[in-house]
Amino acid sequence: MTLPLRRRGQLFASHGLTLAMALILFALVAAPLITIAIQTLQPSSGAQAWGDVLASRLSPNLFWRPAANTMLIGLSVAAGCVLLGGFLAWLVVMTDVPGRAAIGFMATLPFMIPSFATALAWGSVFRNGRVGGGGGLLEGLGFAIPDWLSWGILPTILVLIAHYYALAFTVIAAALAAVNGDLIEAAQMTGASRKRILFGIVLPVVTPAIIAGGSLAFAGAVSNFAAPALLGLPVRMQTLSTRLFGMIEIGQTERGFVLAILLICISAVFLGIGNRILSGRRSFATIGGKGAKPRRFALGGGKSLLAVLAWSICFLTTVLPIFLLLAASFAPSSLALFSNWTLHYWIGTSDPAFARGQPGIFHNPQLISALTTTLTLGVVVAFTANLLGILIAVALTRHKVPVLSSLVSQLSFLPMLLPGIAFAAAYIALYGAPIGPLPALYGTKLLLALALTAAMLPFAVQTGRATVAQISGDIDEAARMTGAGFFRRLRAITIPLAARGLVAGLLISFVNIIGDLAITILLFTPTSPLLAVLSYSYASDGFHQFANAVTLVILVISMFATGAATLLRGRRRENIA
Amino acid sequence: MISLNQVTKSFAGTNAVHDVSFSVSQGAFLVLLGPSGCGKSTMLRMLAGLEQPTGGQIRFGDTLVADGGSGFTIPPAKRDTGLVFQSYALWPHMTVAGNIEWPLKVAKLSNDERRARIKEAMEMLGIAQLANRYPGEVSGGQQQRVALARMIAPRPNVMLFDEPLSNLDATLRVEMRVELLRVHAATGATSVYVTHDQVEAMTMATHVAVMNRGRIEQFDAPERLLAEPASAFVAGFVGTPPANLIPIADGKWFGAIADPSLPGLRGYAMVRAEEIAVTDEPGPRTLQVRLAEIVPMAGRRLVTGIVNDIRITAIADGAARLPLGLRFRLPDAPAAFFDTEGNRIS
Repeated sequence: MTLPLRRRGQLFASHGLTLAMALILFALVAAPLITIAIQTLQPSSGAQAWGDVLASRLSPNLFWRPAANTMLIGLSVAAGCVLLGGFLAWLVVMTDVPGRAAIGFMATLPFMIPSFATALAWGSVFRNGRVGGGGGLLEGLGFAIPDWLSWGILPTILVLIAHYYALAFTVIAAALAAVNGDLIEAAQMTGASRKRILFGIVLPVVTPAIIAGGSLAFAGAVSNFAAPALLGLPVRMQTLSTRLFGMIEIGQTERGFVLAILLICISAVFLGIGNRILSGRRSFATIGGKGAKPRRFALGGGKSLLAVLAWSICFLTTVLPIFLLLAASFAPSSLALFSNWTLHYWIGTSDPAFARGQPGIFHNPQLISALTTTLTLGVVVAFTANLLGILIAVALTRHKVPVLSSLVSQLSFLPMLLPGIAFAAAYIALYGAPIGPLPALYGTKLLLALALTAAMLPFAVQTGRATVAQISGDIDEAARMTGAGFFRRLRAITIPLAARGLVAGLLISFVNIIGDLAITILLFTPTSPLLAVLSYSYASDGFHQFANAVTLVILVISMFATGAATLLRGRRRENIA
Repeated sequence: MISLNQVTKSFAGTNAVHDVSFSVSQGAFLVLLGPSGCGKSTMLRMLAGLEQPTGGQIRFGDTLVADGGSGFTIPPAKRDTGLVFQSYALWPHMTVAGNIEWPLKVAKLSNDERRARIKEAMEMLGIAQLANRYPGEVSGGQQQRVALARMIAPRPNVMLFDEPLSNLDATLRVEMRVELLRVHAATGATSVYVTHDQVEAMTMATHVAVMNRGRIEQFDAPERLLAEPASAFVAGFVGTPPANLIPIADGKWFGAIADPSLPGLRGYAMVRAEEIAVTDEPGPRTLQVRLAEIVPMAGRRLVTGIVNDIRITAIADGAARLPLGLRFRLPDAPAAFFDTEGNRIS
């Protein structure tokens, strides 16, 4: 039996899309990982590298100590984020604490502030003179700051908690808000105390969200490069990501690749454990009813204390770091953040007597080039990733092909589980050398764009799915029943509904790209670095004022983009609800 | 015994419940009946102690449990009440047995006592085999039984139900009505049951409070609501089918058909469906109607026709073909008469 030609054409078209997406994902995600694995399995150099890293005189320094630091950081950050994020989520969703809406908004912001900004802000206060470059604000005030507070693992953990708790907050707050108020009233009817209701009913019900929030924070913390590099490297505290960076920087790529694989494994094992716990639990789907309006606990006596605590957390992790960076970018002496302010670090011309002849960032030709490169890269990658995201979502929902579809789905979410710096290492492994007639891409902007696109895919596919759900749902069918053609529906229904979400998705990808350091630090082009890289190299050369100024430029761009995205999202919610 | 004295509840200035007083004796099955937004759920939540009245007193027996004037209130757990939620509110992370046990644990009952109570409650509801399942793993009807078992295990003196059957399909609903009555009889507790379904009220209640816009329109036994509705609202709300309310102006049906039994009256006449004859002949008090629908019911048919944009329902016997020119013949005199405000006059 032969299919009509048209039908066959359609069949090919639908399989074609899925096939094309599978190929693109293979090139972007699977191929680099396969290459890095193969390269380290080469009989001579690969085996040698594994031996060096895992079982040699060098291995405690190469792997075991960094791995222990990484685990300690990961677990502490996960615990801290769950505590901090969970506490704020409980306050905002379940209590009558004053200023709940504002706290809820502030608590989502830290994630939009790049972690190197928070790390630099920490340094501006707690740095001591031990590694040169002058002390920070507190030392300037006459306090002796011990090393453990200035450098190393504790500051790294605290900075990362301040950065990632926003993730845990978002996830846990969403889960708490979804808890049916009846469940709590049913517990109140029994006469259980507030504490007992919290620990006996509320917490167990939102446990999946707590585990998910903790896993996300863990994955973020173990793969973070900026914080341990800025706060740990000066005192030789290494994590797997800084060690990996060091190995590749000094040309020991095989060892770097081995470390990348180990880092991926550690991250995967823990995310896997979290997943296992989640899937092992019974489904918590509850029965809908009219559902009592959320009932807030009255805080009573502790109210003002808890409010002050919540406001302090928000202030310390959002406003204060930015303010400190700003002050530190004006102050010639890092010991006195608020004296002798000068605009030199922003707009000064080169003066041999000042800052070792470094001109202000706006007179640094590198900054202008970094600014354009960063913005271009951000826009191009955000568009490419989201376009791919929509195409993948269409392929997944409209054209289901056995095996191939599930492959596409899994490959598109894989980058979420991969530490950025390890992923970048995999890109070097594959595209660092010429492939057949294709030239080597290492050191080109194209390679950077490809890696960032792949890293943004999980998020872009989420956005794409939400968009496609709008296109293919009842809403579209209702429009189809009226006889409206595809383009008419697109113009009248789909675009108005999906546009805000899409634009918000684009903006969020953009913010993530311009704030990324983990991928860019390995793949940037020496001739035209990116803003984040420039800030990092200023900081590691001891030019903190310049680093702060560049970071502020990134922050300002991020804030505009985030603000626009929040506005779009907020309006949209209003429209639907 | 539950008694309410001038209970009022206002939210931000608007009265959700206004000046409600009634009392029912121990062991009664009281149904709070009314359309959505009439204040019946607020009433129930005040009885449970989840909301405080802003005026008036609530007493259980001789005990004052809430006083709106002084703000005095006894917390929910100390009122010896149990509540079944519309959503069942089963705790999803506890097994069926765990759900029943938790309130007993909170009440600090001994291990043996708890085990005995759980067994008793589960056996009464026929769910002993589900003890180790989670709420998400049992059907909607079984969840309803679990919610009931959880409510009765502490042996409350007052059982409260907030539209408990509205999430079940029609067959299960009938089955659970019987089940609820059995539990009510077995426990001897006083029940207060909120619903918007007048069939549930008619089949289960010993007393019905028909509520509308925060007030009680009528507080009576179910059969009295049908026989002697106190207001046009009650007449039009209860009964299957509810009685017809026909507008009267200047002593004329629909303002058109004069009738000496309606001397100069203005308002609404109550005419039950069984008092209207379906016919094809013109005659006194007979009017032509446009057929709207026919519902077969227990060997008879409910025939609804439209006159002047008003739906009138009559009952026709048997399966005989309906006449083409459908006409309804009104009775000699209406069973009741209400003024334009809906108050009963005769």
